[in-house]
Amino acid sequence: MHQEAAIREPLILGEKTYGEITDDVMASVVGKASKSWWIAFGISAVMALWGVGCILYLLGTGVGTWGLNKTVGWAWDITNFVWWVGIGHAGTLISAVLLLFRQKWRMAINRSAEAMTIFAVMMAAVWPGIHMGRIWLAYFVFPLPNQFGSLWVNFNSPLLWDVFAISTYFSVSLVFWYIGLIPDFATIRDKVTQAVPKKVYSLLSFGWTGNAKAWNRFEEISLVLAGLATPLVFSVHSIVSMDFATSVIPGWHTTIFPPYFVSGAVFSGFAMVQTLLIIMRKVMHLENYITRKHIEYMNIVIIVTGSIVGVAYLTELFISWYSGVEYEAYAFINRATGPYWWAYWAMMTCNVISPQVFWFKKLRTNIMFTFFMSIVVNIGMWFERFVIIVTSLHRDYLPSSWTMFHPTFVDIGCFIGTIGIFFVLFLLFARFFPVLPLNELKTILKSSGEQYKTKVEEH
Amino acid sequence: MSNNKKYWKGVEELKETQSFQQSSNKEFNEYLPAADFLGEENLLADSKTSRRDFLKYLGFGVTAASLAACETPVNKVIPYVVKTDKINPGVANYFASNYSDGYDFCDIVVKTREGRPIKIEGNKKSLFTKGGINARVNSSVLSLYDEKRYRAPQIAGEEVSWSKFDGEVKKELEAAISKGGKIRILTNTITSPSTLKLVSDFKAAYPDADIQHITYDAVSFSGMLEANMASFGKANLPSYDLTKAKSIVSIGADFMNDFPSSIQLTNQYAKGRNPEKGWMSKHFQFESSLSLSGSNADVRIPIKPSEQGKIAIDLYNYITGKGGSASAKVKKAGDHLLANKGASIVLAGANDKNIQLVVNAINQELNNYGKTLDINNPNFLKKGMDAKVAALVKEMNDGSVDALLVSDVDPVYSMPKSMNFEAAMAKVKTTVAFASRPTATSQKAKYIAAANHYLEAWNDANPQAGHYSLAQPTINPLFDTRQMQDCLMNWMGSSESYYEYIRKNWEATAFKMQSKSVFFDDFWNNCLHEGFFAGKQAPAVSDDSSEESEASVNGTASVASAIAAIGKAKTGDWELEFYSKVGIGDGKQAHNPWLQELPDPISKMTWDNYLAMNPGDAKELGFATEYGEQKNADTVNLTVNGVVYENVPVIAQPGQVKGTLSVALGYGQAIGKQNEIIGFNFYPAQNAGETYSSSVSFEATGNDYQVATTQTHQTVMGRTSVVRETNFDTYKNSDKDAYNPAHILATHDGPMNVNDVDLWAKHPVASAGHHWGMSIDLNSCIGCGSCVTSCNSENNVPVVGKDEVRRSREMHWMRIDRYFSSAEESVEESERSYGKMENPEDNPMVVHQPMMCQHCNHAPCETVCPVAATTHSNEGINQMTYNRCIGTRYCANNCPYKVRRFNWFSYQNLDKFADLNPSQDDLGRMVLNPDVTVRARGVMEKCSLCVQRIQTGKLDAKKEGRPVQDGDIQTACASACPTNAITFGDLNDKSSEVLAATQSNRAYRVIEEVGTQANVYYQVKVRNTETNIA
Amino acid sequence: MTDNKTIYATYDDDMVLLAGAKELVSNGVYIRDVFSPFPIHGLDPVIGIKQTRLAICAFIYGLIGLTLALCGMYYFMIVDWPMNIGGKPNDFFYQNIPAFVPISFEFTVLLAAHGMALTYFIRNWTLPGVKPRNPYPYTTDDKFVMEIHPSDSGITVDELTEKLKTTGSILIEER
Repeated sequence: MHQEAAIREPLILGEKTYGEITDDVMASVVGKASKSWWIAFGISAVMALWGVGCILYLLGTGVGTWGLNKTVGWAWDITNFVWWVGIGHAGTLISAVLLLFRQKWRMAINRSAEAMTIFAVMMAAVWPGIHMGRIWLAYFVFPLPNQFGSLWVNFNSPLLWDVFAISTYFSVSLVFWYIGLIPDFATIRDKVTQAVPKKVYSLLSFGWTGNAKAWNRFEEISLVLAGLATPLVFSVHSIVSMDFATSVIPGWHTTIFPPYFVSGAVFSGFAMVQTLLIIMRKVMHLENYITRKHIEYMNIVIIVTGSIVGVAYLTELFISWYSGVEYEAYAFINRATGPYWWAYWAMMTCNVISPQVFWFKKLRTNIMFTFFMSIVVNIGMWFERFVIIVTSLHRDYLPSSWTMFHPTFVDIGCFIGTIGIFFVLFLLFARFFPVLPLNELKTILKSSGEQYKTKVEEH
Repeated sequence: MSNNKKYWKGVEELKETQSFQQSSNKEFNEYLPAADFLGEENLLADSKTSRRDFLKYLGFGVTAASLAACETPVNKVIPYVVKTDKINPGVANYFASNYSDGYDFCDIVVKTREGRPIKIEGNKKSLFTKGGINARVNSSVLSLYDEKRYRAPQIAGEEVSWSKFDGEVKKELEAAISKGGKIRILTNTITSPSTLKLVSDFKAAYPDADIQHITYDAVSFSGMLEANMASFGKANLPSYDLTKAKSIVSIGADFMNDFPSSIQLTNQYAKGRNPEKGWMSKHFQFESSLSLSGSNADVRIPIKPSEQGKIAIDLYNYITGKGGSASAKVKKAGDHLLANKGASIVLAGANDKNIQLVVNAINQELNNYGKTLDINNPNFLKKGMDAKVAALVKEMNDGSVDALLVSDVDPVYSMPKSMNFEAAMAKVKTTVAFASRPTATSQKAKYIAAANHYLEAWNDANPQAGHYSLAQPTINPLFDTRQMQDCLMNWMGSSESYYEYIRKNWEATAFKMQSKSVFFDDFWNNCLHEGFFAGKQAPAVSDDSSEESEASVNGTASVASAIAAIGKAKTGDWELEFYSKVGIGDGKQAHNPWLQELPDPISKMTWDNYLAMNPGDAKELGFATEYGEQKNADTVNLTVNGVVYENVPVIAQPGQVKGTLSVALGYGQAIGKQNEIIGFNFYPAQNAGETYSSSVSFEATGNDYQVATTQTHQTVMGRTSVVRETNFDTYKNSDKDAYNPAHILATHDGPMNVNDVDLWAKHPVASAGHHWGMSIDLNSCIGCGSCVTSCNSENNVPVVGKDEVRRSREMHWMRIDRYFSSAEESVEESERSYGKMENPEDNPMVVHQPMMCQHCNHAPCETVCPVAATTHSNEGINQMTYNRCIGTRYCANNCPYKVRRFNWFSYQNLDKFADLNPSQDDLGRMVLNPDVTVRARGVMEKCSLCVQRIQTGKLDAKKEGRPVQDGDIQTACASACPTNAITFGDLNDKSSEVLAATQSNRAYRVIEEVGTQANVYYQVKVRNTETNIA
Repeated sequence: MTDNKTIYATYDDDMVLLAGAKELVSNGVYIRDVFSPFPIHGLDPVIGIKQTRLAICAFIYGLIGLTLALCGMYYFMIVDWPMNIGGKPNDFFYQNIPAFVPISFEFTVLLAAHGMALTYFIRNWTLPGVKPRNPYPYTTDDKFVMEIHPSDSGITVDELTEKLKTTGSILIEER
């Protein structure tokens, strides 16, 4: 069996046996929901309802209920879309890329990170939907044979690429996630006593048996799906960035966008994972599995990606000057000094400056501080998208059309709504799903479990 | 507590008589046969229907009936029972006519579809307006379908039949006549010879009554008329010919908008502004508020309104060599005038006899008469004499006027408060108003003769000596209305109709003037078809020199006294000028939403009038100087000549001279279904004949006011590839690169012209068949906005109202970008500060740039549409497929010109727009062009190069079996342009005008370096100035 | 004389089971199957389970996806209804390739992933509503079970039980 160097810190603390791991994870599933869970659920449900209300009003009356105008055709809608997609990236990255790199520390967090991905991508998908003027014709974006004769979609359009990218990304990560869940559902199925949950879980577990051949296939498919998901992750946000990069609007028309967006996505994604897990490990007493070490690892990812993003910002600025294109130059000067300077500097401080404090081990291992920072980073990343979209559009080529964008209560309501729905879904997940991948954790118990490591040291 | 009173049904109950006792326990007092019917048991047994059944059936019956009552409303389409031979469904008919409302005159062509007038265009054949038209005229078709029009004559607010109405009115008139009373007919300037004849006939019909016809112009030019009376013995306006004028000096005259026959003048002006000819006119403008004319001037000299007289005098003295204290600027103008003696013109806007006298003298001195001005062939577009009007009001106040007939004017609304017309009107026994829709005056009148809209009426016009034009009805009166002339004839007891009257009159006059046609019918039909008849004109310079000299003597004689009089011009530390806007004019069409939403060419404000102030002054006084969705204007309480206005918004207007203010007339009327008052009515504050007031005071209220502007940024930020301009010398003496350099890219195989750099080969169909293109000459474009309203009516562009415009959501497909120059732009490019470039100069140079979809051959919008809803046609048009559009707005974002418009709401259904959008009521809907889809909510739209017109043109050519000729097809904007700044045509047609234009040295495409390969070209603006501004 | 009985030997530790398996196999006992809560690395070769060929399926599905995508776009954009979109060429396939790259990739991944997943479910026979076939519920929790048919290796139940006892099995049950 694979032995691990003793200097590496244990990833599972406490004297755990296989059985205890199962019990710890199942505690939430079989036991009653805690008070804090109900409070959180209540709040997010209210937000969700408010948002749904706003969305219905929007669909009933028209996109004009948002603050958009003839010059700024996209604002909060696409900002939120990109923001949510970005958040989604962390999950796949953790479960796929880290799996390829055989990073064991991923195992404690990948289940919930993937769940977050799926819910985030759902929320992302809401926006392109409701931002349409005629959502009831949304099916036009699929190359369907139709009564109008030869009427197909336009494969030159980055927006169409998005349609394919997002749908692929969503369905693939869903499958990946579910295949991992099946054995754990089986565990719960065989463990629970109440009739109804037993029924439900045995349905969910697809009759998983856990015989050797099945495990063999299981490991294979996890590996291959990881291999497929990894380029997918990078492609998705690259394509999202092409919505802007392939346009002619100064501030959008930038070749640096794909890598810059991807790292930005990972950046914000990890921040969101931090936000969620730090709460979860407290509420669900998973401190032994999601350890300080995990938090620190993720902070390291944050500081790396954050720095990449920072470099990208500076490169943009430099190129805008170096290119000698008057519109390009103005676009960036306008960002920093124009009417939207506050958004630009909010972005700069939150994304570039503040993550640098994680160079200090003290701060990067401080749970509360990490939590605070994760919020800051998410705010910063939201502003990044806002800055890119709105401040580029509101002043482009012809000064006669320059305008400002002012959000309405519907803009804000819809955004709050998606946040609400997201948390509702995640809370349900935390309540009824195995939040840790049991089967994977058990495989590393002996290599990275605390008590075994101490044993190894004794010999 | 319980009620212990006892009430009894009658005295019987009280008395408790026996009969009462019996009857009280019977339900029915009288005998009922029911008893013996029910008595027969068997009969009862075999009766099928019990009472229960009966109730069932009743219930069912009622329910069935009520259900039958509520069925879905059925919209019937009624086919022609007998199809008329002229009207073919789907084919437009055109009728020549004219528009003459006393403020504007225009020879027009009316387009009708299925018998409905839907579009008004200039009559290209007209020798007077030369096919020119302005926003007010081409929007006037909408007022035909105005919900609020009078639908029948009214007596004291009661709708009555015409017979009753005529009876009543006749009775009152006869009463007045019989006692030899005073009857006064108050009208706008009537250009119609037949009407004038009719009025005189009316007078003649009642010799023993004192009948007078008074002409009243809300915006008066009587000063000019009096001056000409003094100088030339005729109270007329001269006719102008700016095409010959090499030097144009205007002293506060906005001759492009607010001047007699301004349409004609703009057309002539443009002809003198074409640098290709080797010369171009130089235009000096002395003015205080930045007018449309001022915005096009080569040299604009800021003055106070009170200085107009002084400028005129200085100019006169300088030209006549009498020395005087002429300023350097005046001298410059004077020199240029002298250099172009006989080919120059001086115009003055002041409604002041003396100033006009001096100006006449100047023009005489420069012997422009007979060349650029012609008093022998006068222009009859303004006839109102302030003195006569004042006299009338006095009479009325004395109560000596028995009957007042008011037609086409609204004195209650537009007369100075000091004259208090309303009170005077109350003193008149019989008041008859001829009006097609409620006006302040008609609502005060006892009798309202519901008048036709001009598109329902017969008329003729004589705007200028020798030019006679006809107006014919293009639709049957929509309501039970009758035009003023028919009423008069009816009351005179004449049996014939006004139509016959005109024919007779023409047979007697115009027919005699010509020899071409032998039969009158032939002549008449011909004139009707052409829309006008060109009669003989008197020689411009009368050979009889005595008259000349006499005139001039008169001139000089009066000049001295005039100069003396001018000396006493009223001044004040704030001087407020009254002007009329391009959209609303004198306010006759204030109810027309197209005109309300037409942005002012200078301030780009819509749906309001306001107090315009110099930005410097505004800053000093702490008023807001930038406006937008969340940037409101500050308001003041304004007092003008003692009339107080509360919460008037203050707009910082570059070009407004320091210490002066200006306000637009014609506002403050109730419009829309909610009768909302838009803006403020400044007529009452205007003393009779005044064009400015010097007794002005205001204090800030601290309140703010939402203003709706379509342009929140004023300068072009030194972007020379958006707007290109140069001066005449540079254009003449140096080659293209000096004023219109090509965009050169550094490529790996050396520097290349941006148009030659391309990723892939030209599209195969690009050079086959038609390739539509357009060229817009920034030199001819004066920014009048005629194209905008024309586009609106052609393409069913929705009206969105003030609030939406405020949110920068106006739907106009065609807009006119207006840029003010900024001092910073003259700084060396490397030292420029963007911040400073955002501020316009105090007396800026102005550029008007029409902007619509550029129909790029490499269109950024097409590539990004996911559903291929916008693609390129084989004829080079960037086309929208509305029913394919899902409304992602990606195309609009990616449009470098920001010309795409999104349907944010359902403008046809949403209540928010019910008040103003004509397409929300059945009547207003009739103005819609059936050839153009009314766009649904959530759909992107934009200029289509009037593809429906292109199709029609191609079909007509096909029917006639010939290729499409250049000029066959005109877009709505091109045909509406009074200065022919817009040329449309086929770029693949080697002989086309537009191709030539695109190949000229001045041709460039906006932000060409982006590589969009637009099909719309612009021509560099050339200013006739010394200093180069390029 | 062999009987077709099935022996289930339960272990409480994967390492013990692995060692035991090795020993048994070396003594010529054929192990039918092993049920465990997680994959026991190194077990498959011992009990003679071949490496799955799922990856190859995925590759094939991917190829199908790629071809479908390219053919589809070629048909839609070039053959069936060519349009002039932003002046981009629409008459040759190779000129359009750049615009087709993203979707081709996405579609490849889509089919590869989902095809593979389906195959996986079917081959494992893990589908909604399928009854689990593991002998004891605890095999999905913390116990490890060996399934042996004595008949396979031609030994009697008792012999086998003896052998198993030595491997440290905590429970031996015959069914």
